[in-house]
Amino acid sequence: MDFITFLDYAIAFFSLFVLNVFILLFLRYRKSYLKPPEKTDWEPVISVIIPAHNEEKHIKDCVKSIFATVYPKEKLDVMVVDDGSSDNTYAIAKSFGKKVRVFKKKQGGKGAALNFGLEKAKGELVATMDADSYLTEDTIKELVPYFTDPDVMAVTPSIKIRASDSWLKEFQRVEYLMILFSRKLLSFIDSVPVTPGPFSMFRTKVFDEVGKFDENNLVEDIEIALRIQSHHYKIRSSMRAGVYTDPPDKFGKLLRQRVRWQRGGIRNYWDYKFLIKPEYGDFGVYFVPLNFAALTAFFILLALLAHSIFTTPYYVRYIWAEAFGMGIGLFTFIGAFVLIFSTFFLYLSVKSFREEHVKLRYLLSFIVFYWYLMVCYNLLFIAQELKKEKYKW
Amino acid sequence: MERKVSFHLYIGAFLISLIVFLTGVFVGTLLDTANVQRISGDITHVSERLYSVQLLILMEANSSSFCPVYLSELSSIDQDVENFGYQLTYLEEEKGIQDDELKKQYFVLEAQSYLLSKKVQGLCGDDSVLLIHFYSNKNCSDCRQQGEEILKARDALPDTNVKLFSFDGDMGSPIAEALMNQYRIREYPSIVINGKKYSGYRTSEQIQKLMSEAE
Repeated sequence: MDFITFLDYAIAFFSLFVLNVFILLFLRYRKSYLKPPEKTDWEPVISVIIPAHNEEKHIKDCVKSIFATVYPKEKLDVMVVDDGSSDNTYAIAKSFGKKVRVFKKKQGGKGAALNFGLEKAKGELVATMDADSYLTEDTIKELVPYFTDPDVMAVTPSIKIRASDSWLKEFQRVEYLMILFSRKLLSFIDSVPVTPGPFSMFRTKVFDEVGKFDENNLVEDIEIALRIQSHHYKIRSSMRAGVYTDPPDKFGKLLRQRVRWQRGGIRNYWDYKFLIKPEYGDFGVYFVPLNFAALTAFFILLALLAHSIFTTPYYVRYIWAEAFGMGIGLFTFIGAFVLIFSTFFLYLSVKSFREEHVKLRYLLSFIVFYWYLMVCYNLLFIAQELKKEKYKW
Repeated sequence: MERKVSFHLYIGAFLISLIVFLTGVFVGTLLDTANVQRISGDITHVSERLYSVQLLILMEANSSSFCPVYLSELSSIDQDVENFGYQLTYLEEEKGIQDDELKKQYFVLEAQSYLLSKKVQGLCGDDSVLLIHFYSNKNCSDCRQQGEEILKARDALPDTNVKLFSFDGDMGSPIAEALMNQYRIREYPSIVINGKKYSGYRTSEQIQKLMSEAE
């Protein structure tokens, strides 16, 4: 077996394995993954920190959505941290009167604004929230009961995108649903790797134990989750607590966001590579190494595809139909298996959210185009890393 | 919290992957075998067509009145034969399937179609160019490129009817060796254009020139 063939086999097997882990997790937890946690009468004070930089368009609806949730109003401590806005954000936030505490500070980035809020937080639980995100009625009610387990330090909700007619938004909407489903499955092996910026809830004391947000991080929401994992605390994930957020509406913006996620993500995993140890359980043995393996596999696959295109024998154009037929074999079989089961996985992801309906054409275009998006942002990622481009928002 | 490693999960995923993988290997092998058999069947089928042309030529005692039939039959046969060669090379290079018996069977067919084309060329005075490429898969680094140059040369002369025949001289095919003796081939690559030998690597431009001269 030559080296190229060996790589082909290795990539095929790796993709199968990763897919099968998810399929088995689903089969194992198919009865419980949609169940809410056990009900509780416990209603702690919750501080919601909203860092806002020039968010005059969103801040009003954002705060309104918090007060529209089913939870005692007097136990909601809503704080807007105006991070050096030059627009009307401060005034709008102030218009809520005493219900909302508004702070103004010099612009210092999201992490710093969150830490500023943490200093002032009164609640036993604290939620971080983006100004362009909106809670639903049940969000808080669904999240709080997870904290009755004393080991749980953070819970992530289901961050979704509202249905629209924009192709780009629907594309991301499908992706978000798939990510939520995967994250829920990963929570069963204590491997939730992120507490998403749009909305996440924490036990306030965790910040005393593990430290506050990293103020110089591209993706402080990944970093804090890795840090919580490194202290052996649990992060749970809820399928039922919905939060809506606004995704990038232009391809350029989306690409920039993804490159940031990818660069920030990989750098953080690299900083936390010490987690690759059996004492960190499934997270250390499977999930953290998986990130490096998947990135490596992605680039190997890209190289293999390029190689096979550039080394197509010259005579193939005379027999392309026959060559196509003869090309069908092991890799077609594995490719078909992966495609069918990942499509099924996608279908399950969407079906798991009873209130979310996705048009078939958006589902199909997601299956077709997701790969190209990954190629785009991964190539930019590697280009920027190689050029040692400045690492910033 | 107490962390654990879900070995059963990974072992299960590994086993399922292994089963799918091995099933894929099995299906792939079945398909490969089917492909080899299909090509072998196609070769037999074209051989029969070739025999019927040969028979017709024999019965008509070299009269040229059937030339249109010979020419149209042979042009389709020669095309098929060339394509079989590409298919065999594809199997060998891309899928790693080397079937020496099939290849020898193929060289017999190719030699027959070459000899018949030569005969018909004389009989019917057709102006096609017959080009043989002697190569070796073992002892020739330029042969792959030579094959490409020949195709380029043919593509550059769309008005010339060029028929290609390629023989691997190093795999013990008696008929390929007989042809090599006939043209006194000593090195790879060598090409023979309408019976004239040219030893060594030639670029596409050189081959175009040789073909134009031969026409």
